[in-house]
Amino acid sequence: MEEVKAYIESGILELYVLGQLTATERTEVEVMASKHPEVKAEITAIELAMEAYALENAIAPSAALEDKILAQFTETKAQPKVVPLYEVKNDVRIKTLRYALVACVALLVISVAALFSVYTQLKLANNQIVSLSSEKDKFATTVTKLEFDKAGMQNQIDMTETTEWATVKLAGVANSPKAKMLVYWNKKNKSILINHSAMDLPKTDKSHEYQLWALVDGKPVSLGVFGENAKDAVQQMETIPRAQAFAVTIEPTGGSVNPTMEKMVVMGGVTI
Amino acid sequence: MALAKKISLSEEELVNALKRQDTIAIKALYDMYSGALLGVISRIVLHTEVAEDLLQETFVKIWNSAGGYDSSKGRLFTWMMNIARNLSIDKLRSKDFKNSNKNQDIENNVDFIDEQKKVSFNSDVLGLKDMVTLLKPEFKDVLDMVYFKGYTHVETAEELNLPLGTVKTRVRMAILELRKKFN
Repeated sequence: MEEVKAYIESGILELYVLGQLTATERTEVEVMASKHPEVKAEITAIELAMEAYALENAIAPSAALEDKILAQFTETKAQPKVVPLYEVKNDVRIKTLRYALVACVALLVISVAALFSVYTQLKLANNQIVSLSSEKDKFATTVTKLEFDKAGMQNQIDMTETTEWATVKLAGVANSPKAKMLVYWNKKNKSILINHSAMDLPKTDKSHEYQLWALVDGKPVSLGVFGENAKDAVQQMETIPRAQAFAVTIEPTGGSVNPTMEKMVVMGGVTI
Repeated sequence: MALAKKISLSEEELVNALKRQDTIAIKALYDMYSGALLGVISRIVLHTEVAEDLLQETFVKIWNSAGGYDSSKGRLFTWMMNIARNLSIDKLRSKDFKNSNKNQDIENNVDFIDEQKKVSFNSDVLGLKDMVTLLKPEFKDVLDMVYFKGYTHVETAEELNLPLGTVKTRVRMAILELRKKFN
């Protein structure tokens, strides 16, 4: 207890209250105060005395200062609110970004929908183009066919009206009883024409075509080959000065030197 | 000054209000202690305007540092007083304040403080209220230098050409005198 008394009387507590001690010394005093109630009581007594002394020597601030300080204070007090305000500001920014995101998504959806619509329409248009194109092709084919037939018809009419050309009718043989064909033979220059629109021959495959023969004194003479799908309705064949009959056989593409007799499809004798 | 408007709270209420950042604490502190704090500040920094600015700074710092106040280590007023005194001494020793006083001797703070007081004797402060003269002059000089004028006890010893032990003893005696008078 003597030690505590000496500590109190050393004057260190007064210097503690007056804020005259270093951090280490202050800690020491605080440890002493927490250990010894007398030290704590002494400190409080010193504090109260100094407080009273300060109040005795108080200087009243100018009247305007109170408002000035308290006003400053409301500002200072508002400072903690600056933090939530800042957060609100952030929220606003996030909200704005959120709106922007929603707008972007909406725009994306609209764009995709528009793209899909355009794609659908394009597909429709393409289908129409394909269908129109196929119709056009059909018409073109029909027109070609009609022109082909017309040319053939015209030729047939011409042939019946002229005396210059002799018409030889070739009829189907045992293999192909329904087959028939016309051969025109010019009486003057002895040229031969065939009319594709005026023939009905058995179908051939890709590796075979028709070959026209003239029978001259019992011997077959080739007058050339012709296909199933001719470009022109009327086709000129080889010229033959004289013949007793005409016949058509089916031969490998390019024709044969001698006719394959079992493949004969039509034959007709010359009546003129 | 409407007396009815003055707020007075117990130390505990005051501390609690301050810690939960209730502005009533500031109003109460102002009503209760602004004069006492300004009394200390004004005797360190003799310019009335600067002293009032420092009082404002003191309140701001009290408010902002309220969380750091530990009632087990001392009374609220002691803590506030030390804030006020430290701010005042910092101001006194700050470059801009010295420059504003056109003081050439910036190295020796003790000389500076001394000189400043001689050069600009604050008649305003003295006119407001004379220092309480209830102490023996040798006690009062030492205490006032330490308590009111911002000197450290070491500086006081140098200034008064006294041994450090004597300064400590006189501070203690002065305060004991005050305790007899006030407690």
